[in-house]
Amino acid sequence: MIRAFKSTIHRELILLYRRGSDLCLTVIFFLLVAILFPLALGPDQGLLAQIGPGVIWVSALLSSMLTIDRIFYADFEDGSLEQFVLSTHPFGIFVFAKLSAHWLTSGLPILIFSPVIGIFYSIPLASYPVLILSIALGTPALSLIGGVSAALSLGARRGGVLLPLLALPLLVPVLIFGTAATNAAILGTPVTPSLLLLGAVLAATLAVAPPITTITIKQAIN
Amino acid sequence: MRGLQNNALKISLTHPSFGSKSDKISRTQNNDMFNFLANPARFSRLSSKMKPWVGCLTLCFLLFGLWFALLSSPADYQQGDTVRIMYVHVPCAWMAMFAFLFLSTFSIIGLIWRHPLAHVIAQSAAPIGACFTLLCLITGSLWGKPMWGTWWVWDARLTSVLILFFLYLGVITLHKAFDDPVRCEKSAAILAIFGLINLPVIKFSVDWWNTLHQPASVIKMSGPSIHFSMLTPLFLVAVSFICFFFYVLLIRIESILASKRLETLHRQCGRRAQ
Amino acid sequence: MGPKSRRLSFILMIMMLLGISVALVLAALKDNIVYFYSPTELLMKEPPMGQRLRVGGLVKQGSYLLENDGITSRFVITDKKSEVTATHKGVLPDLFREGQGVVGEGHFNKNKIFEAEKVLAKHDENYMPPEVAEALRKNGVWKGSKKP
Repeated sequence: MIRAFKSTIHRELILLYRRGSDLCLTVIFFLLVAILFPLALGPDQGLLAQIGPGVIWVSALLSSMLTIDRIFYADFEDGSLEQFVLSTHPFGIFVFAKLSAHWLTSGLPILIFSPVIGIFYSIPLASYPVLILSIALGTPALSLIGGVSAALSLGARRGGVLLPLLALPLLVPVLIFGTAATNAAILGTPVTPSLLLLGAVLAATLAVAPPITTITIKQAIN
Repeated sequence: MRGLQNNALKISLTHPSFGSKSDKISRTQNNDMFNFLANPARFSRLSSKMKPWVGCLTLCFLLFGLWFALLSSPADYQQGDTVRIMYVHVPCAWMAMFAFLFLSTFSIIGLIWRHPLAHVIAQSAAPIGACFTLLCLITGSLWGKPMWGTWWVWDARLTSVLILFFLYLGVITLHKAFDDPVRCEKSAAILAIFGLINLPVIKFSVDWWNTLHQPASVIKMSGPSIHFSMLTPLFLVAVSFICFFFYVLLIRIESILASKRLETLHRQCGRRAQ
Repeated sequence: MGPKSRRLSFILMIMMLLGISVALVLAALKDNIVYFYSPTELLMKEPPMGQRLRVGGLVKQGSYLLENDGITSRFVITDKKSEVTATHKGVLPDLFREGQGVVGEGHFNKNKIFEAEKVLAKHDENYMPPEVAEALRKNGVWKGSKKP
């Protein structure tokens, strides 16, 4: 079972590596969105420091949604998803592996590049650990909830429009608590409540999202 | 037994002349309420009998409620006449949550017991709930401007109700998103069940967080903190809204059943023509 | 592992994660997430000048006055322990009264006066006709504020 998990992740990563552009696309999109704000709002340091955490979180959310529709769609089209369902291993393992691979290729790069945006927005250095911790807790939840919406809109007539409509409301708690934690770190107010709530969201989605995604994909195939 | 029953139900939904033939098939099954309503023709007959009564009830309660709310009930000691917005706003908020609970319950019934009518009921309830949520947000905004001094604040209660509205939109869209009607029903049902998490957040948001929205007044441990004379119109209007919900629900269910029947007729005609 | 015990272990794992989630929420709710600060909290924290924040409390009885320019109002926000003097330029909401709850959004200036750019009135969960409020007050059952 663990071998199946590992080999699925391996397969996903190789597929992504061969396609090449996707990984760069996430990072470039993340940086571009974040850079657009100062250009539009003007270079006021105080204002930028104030909106910085929010901007980082919105860009992280948008760029991780950019690639979420692809995690099941290609395999759904060419029929390999059916093969996964028919295999002797439980299908949930493959779903979980695919979601983990999505985090490795979108959440992790965002995590690595978020301090760069932090510098652009002159966020004080002392609050970086909280920023990074909140993104580390939040981005897996983004991938997991995004996975549910991707599964729900699999093969839909207007999947491109449907996916954000389903995903964005569900992602609001992550956005709120993530931004609140970072903001609290900057303002020097207690950060633990927001981080705890972010952890609670992550634990709940970790428990609920993979089974729901699995059920949804199964009924999409039948 | 399960399979046979399901088959009979499927026939009754898809068969163009679902009056007589499927009636006989279903009658051989055990005749409890659950199965009774599975037949669309029988449901339509029942609902057309119920509809005028529910409509009358709505009208009566609404007239009484409005008379109490607008004329007979006193103005608030703090808010004056503006408090009358409450008689629309609060029942709307209750209905928004009730409709979602209703929708999710029937989604669960539809997914687990595969009752053919459950998904249709859920599909009919979604737009009504969405309208109540929108009304709740609009009246809340109208109440917030004079009382709080702002149309909108991003506090926990308001934000979670806004999310509820988007969940309704998601469910409505999913009902029309796929070519296969079974997929539509199931996807929408899964989203509706997933969205249930939001309901306790809405209910308790005012107690958990330090929000601008006032805490609960009607349902709380120490009894309601609304004076009797204001509670009466509130409940009258709420009851009339519930009746209205079921009235529109019945109309919508009938129209969805009719359109489904039309579709199967079309398909059959097309096949015959070939 | 057979499929049955595998399913059981999956369910156990899900239960455990949900349990962790609930525990984290309960832990987080212990220290309240704040929409606003009370004056006492502010005095302990001493926020830097110019930082945007919200202060919430009651308007102190007899503290409200309109300044000479006719639009700036000045009042004291109290939580019965500490006080913060606040000013606001513009129209106050209907429910703004002495003794009632209020939330101000703004920043402290160099004289330690809170300049509220926005004032929001928070009303309580009690609804009753004026006569009842008056009767309750007379009997000393309830100490609400009077309409000015």
